[in-house]
Amino acid sequence: MSAILLLVVRRAAVSVVILAVVSALLFCMLRLLPVDAAAMSMPPTATIAEIEAKRQEMGLDLPLPQQYAIWLGHALHGDFGTSIHFRRSVVSLVAATLPATIELALCAMVIASILGIGGGLLLFHMRGRWGLDQILDTSSIVLLSIPEFLWALFFILVFGVMFEALPFTGRLSPEFQLPVVTGFLLLDTLLVGRLDMFWDAVKHMLLPAFALGIAFSPTIMRVLRSSLLDVYQEDYIHQARLRGQPERRILLRHGLKNAILPTLSLMGVQFGFLFGGTLLVEVIYSYPGLGNLMVDAVRNADLPIIQAVGLAYCVVVLIINTVVDACYVVLNPRLRVA
Amino acid sequence: MTVEMDRRTALQMLALAAGSTALAGSVTDAFAAGDAATIGWPSDVPSWDPNRRFTPDAQPIYKLVFDQPIDQDPKLKLVPKLLTKWQLAPDGLSLDVELRDDVTFHNGDKMTADDFRYTFFERIKAGHQVDTKNSWRKVKDIEVQSPTKARMVFSSPAPTAPQWLAFLGSYIVSKKYFESVGPEAAAQKPVGTGPYKLADYQLNSRIVLERNDAYWGPKPKIKRITFEIIKDPSARVAAVQSGQIDLTINVPVREVARLNKEPSLAAELNPMTRIILLQCRNDLGFADDNVRLAAHHAIDKAALSKAFYGGAAVPLSVVATPGTAAYLPDFKFAYDPKLATELLKKSGFGPSKPATIKFASTNGHFPSDFDIARAIQQMWKKVGIEAEIETIEYAKYFELNRGSKLPEATLYSWDNATGDPEIFAGYLLSPKLPFSAWKGAEVGEKMAPLFNIADYDKRIAGWRDLNKFVIEKGATIPLLQSVQTVVRKKTLSYVKYENGWILADHMSWT
Repeated sequence: MSAILLLVVRRAAVSVVILAVVSALLFCMLRLLPVDAAAMSMPPTATIAEIEAKRQEMGLDLPLPQQYAIWLGHALHGDFGTSIHFRRSVVSLVAATLPATIELALCAMVIASILGIGGGLLLFHMRGRWGLDQILDTSSIVLLSIPEFLWALFFILVFGVMFEALPFTGRLSPEFQLPVVTGFLLLDTLLVGRLDMFWDAVKHMLLPAFALGIAFSPTIMRVLRSSLLDVYQEDYIHQARLRGQPERRILLRHGLKNAILPTLSLMGVQFGFLFGGTLLVEVIYSYPGLGNLMVDAVRNADLPIIQAVGLAYCVVVLIINTVVDACYVVLNPRLRVA
Repeated sequence: MTVEMDRRTALQMLALAAGSTALAGSVTDAFAAGDAATIGWPSDVPSWDPNRRFTPDAQPIYKLVFDQPIDQDPKLKLVPKLLTKWQLAPDGLSLDVELRDDVTFHNGDKMTADDFRYTFFERIKAGHQVDTKNSWRKVKDIEVQSPTKARMVFSSPAPTAPQWLAFLGSYIVSKKYFESVGPEAAAQKPVGTGPYKLADYQLNSRIVLERNDAYWGPKPKIKRITFEIIKDPSARVAAVQSGQIDLTINVPVREVARLNKEPSLAAELNPMTRIILLQCRNDLGFADDNVRLAAHHAIDKAALSKAFYGGAAVPLSVVATPGTAAYLPDFKFAYDPKLATELLKKSGFGPSKPATIKFASTNGHFPSDFDIARAIQQMWKKVGIEAEIETIEYAKYFELNRGSKLPEATLYSWDNATGDPEIFAGYLLSPKLPFSAWKGAEVGEKMAPLFNIADYDKRIAGWRDLNKFVIEKGATIPLLQSVQTVVRKKTLSYVKYENGWILADHMSWT
């Protein structure tokens, strides 16, 4: 436990530094873009004098380091500015959309893990069986080459249009009013005791989560297979066989337990990419998350939102990587020595 | 301890469970099919404060929750709404208005002239961050003469004040409500006078409106309207095809013919008061009149319409759409590549020594924009104009224009729900406004008096004259009247507006 606590504390300290650097880089990059944020915040009929006054009001005429210091001061008090397009606090917009994206990403990660680990075990199990091994190996490569947005469109076509089996817009059907407790819809529907709403939310979640999950599962599959191949060279595997243990038990109890460690690290890294991948999938499925907000922000050159969403992505990825590393310590006793 | 259960009890419990599930389903399905409609909409409202941002796509939604002082009929004629009468003074320096006395806001407060004054004067003076600050900058005061009478006083003539009372952002909000809760809270929980009330709102996802049964005007036939915000055009096509939505707009033009073959769907291409044009500079590679006029003569607008809009987009020779006041049906600017070549030759250019210009276009801002730019580039190449295309974001247009950094020609799209010529040619070409790339004095000088003529017929005559002048000068190159694609279930009828409005309070199931 102390090893895990130490890990979390160290990570938290490093994360503060990482966030500061990322926020500064983002801030500078956005300010260096050839976009006039003051003009964007005014209606098109604004005069040049009005825009200049707005520019001064927004502090855009100040030197860049001073602008950053002002922004940082506000950010440390929880004020990330006002959206240029929505004219609303950025924090309220991010808070309204972040839980939806986290929920989607977590569901997608669960699907990716199940498919990835299951697929990896199957690939390993079929090794050496001529024909089947090649087919499965090639299939995993084909799956690897299909991006998530293509899966998203494919699922809409098949399950949404062709078979009309599943909904593909939004998080809930129109006849339901969205319960707002935590922002995590699957949890909220259970908290308010509405099983019908829960199943409806699950149906809405299936296609976008699968589109993301299936796109990220092949990497997990292949890394797990590769790790298992390495682990099966170890002496304890031979010893287990000599002790007469069935192959299934050897695979699950000895092989998987050791091979999962590098796979787990990969999954932490993959989550970062998966989280970023929600952007396109959210647009395609009209899923009201952070990605959808970001796309609007980029279209409207809404710099405060781009900055805040960029940081939000960074925070989530840092947290997930810390959690994954903590799990690593739990699973690998050798790392528990302080 | 064991619980003994006989077969009968088990079946009874199963039946109870099934019945509960069915009941839950029926409780949530409170609206029968004919009482509700779901519309797939391409963008969310930026805010529920209707004065805050000028967003054309949001207007058909705002018009359901809020009312404007003046409305437009499907042919875009101004008709009374919250105002029963209005009279512009001969000098254009004031506008007398009379309001209805039977209108209440959704919270029961009565609407009066105080709310009119608050919307168009007080909240602007109070420094609220609203785009109406710019559209109503001429308002010096609004004198409230009675609960139903007021006079808008302007610092300079405002001949299009009535048009603007039916245009972007002009929705009356409740002074009492705004002052009691503040503009931010009012934007979270909007209170309007419209035929629908906001029942549920999920940012970037869904808007649910329920009929206001206390509405002062004709009650909508459909009790509940749901707007599903579906930004991706392919997803909108899929949603309407699968029946998840009942109507949608702005699907790719190539999908219209295919969707029309679906037995349950009707797909239409409706012309609207949106113009696709080229904004032109009067210097650099376009300093020569001959080059600009040649560029215009070289464009086969009918071919562009056929290629990208199925022939439904009307080719334009002036900066106005058919049916609007300053449109010139008899004035045609010919597609004449031979004449274009001759004009270029006069200035020493030709296919072997082309005039070189830069040409900016958006990509995805409106349907087929970049494809149109590439087609025009090829048409110009044939006559001796070498155009280098650069892609810009729509947001970038104004910034580049302010810095005089726009290229010689920019493909642009302009929406004008009123159809009024001041908001067409006036705004597009005035050198004092940020839309025009043309900075030549001759257009500005000819145009300036038209902004101050209060007499309607005289004003329109002036704009018609200007519309012809700017084309003959080569100050702009209008291309096409844009079209709106609408796909709906055949049993859902709607009213076609010439400005492309799709208003749910005019819809019904047949």
